[in-house]
Amino acid sequence: MKAVIIGAGLGGLLSGAKLSKAGYEVEIFERLPFTGGRFTNLEHKGFQLSTGALHMIPHGARGPLASLLCDVGAGVTIIPSEPMSVIRNMAGEDIDFHDFRKEISLTKRVKLGTVLAYSLKFKPKDDISFRDWVMKYFEDEFLLRLADSFCGWSLSLRAADVPAREVLEIIDNMYRYKGPGIPLGGCGAVTDALCDVIRSNGGNIHTSSSVERILVDNGRVSGIFVDGKEVSADIVISNIGHMETTKLYKCSDEDYLAKLGKAKPSRGIKICIASDEALLGHSGALFTPYAQRINGINEVTNADPSLAPAGKHLIMSHQTTLSDNLEQEIALGLDDLKTLFPGKEYEVLMVQSYSGGWPVNRASSGSDTGNRTPVGNLYVVGDGAKGKGGIEVEGVALGVMNAMREIL
Amino acid sequence: MKVNQNCVGCAQCAAYCPHNAITVFGRASINRNCVECKTCVDYCPLGAISGDE
Ligand SMILES: Cc1cc2nc3c(=O)[nH]c(=O)nc-3n(C[C@H](O)[C@H](O)[C@H](O)COP(=O)(O)OP(=O)(O)OC[C@H]3O[C@@H](n4cnc5c(N)ncnc54)[C@H](O)[C@@H]3O)c2cc1C
Repeated sequence: MKAVIIGAGLGGLLSGAKLSKAGYEVEIFERLPFTGGRFTNLEHKGFQLSTGALHMIPHGARGPLASLLCDVGAGVTIIPSEPMSVIRNMAGEDIDFHDFRKEISLTKRVKLGTVLAYSLKFKPKDDISFRDWVMKYFEDEFLLRLADSFCGWSLSLRAADVPAREVLEIIDNMYRYKGPGIPLGGCGAVTDALCDVIRSNGGNIHTSSSVERILVDNGRVSGIFVDGKEVSADIVISNIGHMETTKLYKCSDEDYLAKLGKAKPSRGIKICIASDEALLGHSGALFTPYAQRINGINEVTNADPSLAPAGKHLIMSHQTTLSDNLEQEIALGLDDLKTLFPGKEYEVLMVQSYSGGWPVNRASSGSDTGNRTPVGNLYVVGDGAKGKGGIEVEGVALGVMNAMREIL
Repeated sequence: MKVNQNCVGCAQCAAYCPHNAITVFGRASINRNCVECKTCVDYCPLGAISGDE
């Protein structure tokens, strides 16, 4: 059996590793000159920045991605974030995430316990947003800001744009799998390890090869057209999202197309800064609910000093993009950094923004469409086809597991 | 080199530019260091950069 994979991002590489291990002949085509997509290192001035990710694996060494990596034999060391995360409160103090309840009144604290326990068990069925859910039960300024900060950091969305159901699934998963971690060597270590696995299983990865067409025969996929030739395949896995995939063949399934129209990519801005001294001093995320734009910050060099030149720290902030005036959004982010680290000396290494065809997530959390397509044996994986409640790359891993359950 | 509307500002081109000729602030802009080597064209995930001709 032969599998062709379009795109060597995390989703494509996880699928390739799994299929090649199961005995499939695997051939991967990647348009860019390098593998890893939005989950690999980007070297700049001796710092290991990244093409996308903030070098974080949301559920660390015990989450779905870690278990899939282990399953396919990809050797990656994931350093647990310690503490898991910290919140900069209104007074400007950093408190442990677990102590967030101390910031609200005793009555609300008690109510939070019961409402959360109930809602985790009986998740809201309607489309109530996380923001409206928080308002409905608590009407609390701090909780609202924290909700925005959490959703902005982990999903690049405002709380108003995520279904409460989806956030509750995520909270469930946080209890199940625990907190985040940072892969030793950065996110590129993960995708590089997967490439090694695929090659050692006999698979082929072609870079600078853009797939131009998906070939369909009688409702079933028969191969692809790439680099001026046809490559036949028993199954084709697309790592480029549902919408982009439909542009590679003639799709006439109106219901499917209408559903895809609803999935919106999420946009965001990452600011990478360098400092001689540690600005956070730990390897967890710092949530910044009182900043104008920035949702959270990490300092990955506390987990892996090799991500920066000796004696330097790499700090990255993330914010969801709230308006179409990108320059102003970035300026507000830079302004936030000044307020958050008063009197500190740091250098802005790079400002990276993401949207549209190169987004933070192809399908914002809660709007994923699953792995199937109207074409037989053509599947979609990646962050346009995440599994339920899966944050970012954990969602990518859960989606790949779902697809593999159907295929293998 | 020309940057078109597809650019989202991911700065991949700037990191790979061998001549330090690209700055990015929401969008890529190409400065006078550019020698038209076209390295950036291949590294752009959105096909947003093309030659002048
Ligand atoms: C700023 C930012 C911060 C983030 N931080 C984190 C984080 O800390 N933790 C986390 O878990 N997630 C994070 N994410 C999300 C995470 O990076 C993505 O969800 C993940 O990398 C997506 O992987 P993918 O395989 O779905 O897609 P991609 O990485 O986009 O892979 C798709 C690949 O397909 C290729 N391709 C496209 N068209 C074709 C074609 N026609 N032929 C051949 N190849 C093609 C592309 O070049 C690309 O390499 C972040 C994202 C951003 C942007």
